[in-house]
Amino acid sequence: MQAQQELKATGRLLLWTFAWAATLALAKFGPRLLWDAQQAASWVAVAVNVVVGIGWIVAFTRFLRALDELQRKIMQDALAVTLGVGWVGGFAYVVADTAGLVARDVNTAALPALLGVVFMIAFAVGKLRYR
Amino acid sequence: MRNRITDLRAERGWTQADLAQRAGVSRQTINAIETGKFDPSLPLAFRLARLFGLKIEEIFLDDQ
Repeated sequence: MQAQQELKATGRLLLWTFAWAATLALAKFGPRLLWDAQQAASWVAVAVNVVVGIGWIVAFTRFLRALDELQRKIMQDALAVTLGVGWVGGFAYVVADTAGLVARDVNTAALPALLGVVFMIAFAVGKLRYR
Repeated sequence: MRNRITDLRAERGWTQADLAQRAGVSRQTINAIETGKFDPSLPLAFRLARLFGLKIEEIFLDDQ
């Protein structure tokens, strides 16, 4: 029963993740490749991405609820580390940038990518800790 | 917190996977509880107690 619920929630989360990634790609590349930078179409693409993103958040919340308590703890610990790194690292960068210590601009896409890597490492550490 | 789950499970001839399925959790959760790495929530402790036909305090022992 528990395993079935987890599987179902995981499947739904995967679908929402793919849908969100697809709408993000549409919003990112659509203006250049599909609708020749028409603002109205770009706004619609961004709005669709945000709406699907909200769906992803709901699916992720349900996924967390469907996990058993140890798996949820591992996931929450990993999310806490990820949030901490994003928060501390993000503000450190802002402060360093304001003080003129950053020699070159960092691509904003680097932060979500970094957080993804941090989350995967923290999640793997949690899995190993409770092995 | 110590517990007697390994012994109680062995007495009944259950594997960790058997107990996990009966309790509705993952095998990793049962293993973590048995090794003392993870303390279960009260609802899960009650579920385990029901499965073994014992009281919670007969399964889980305070370290202090």
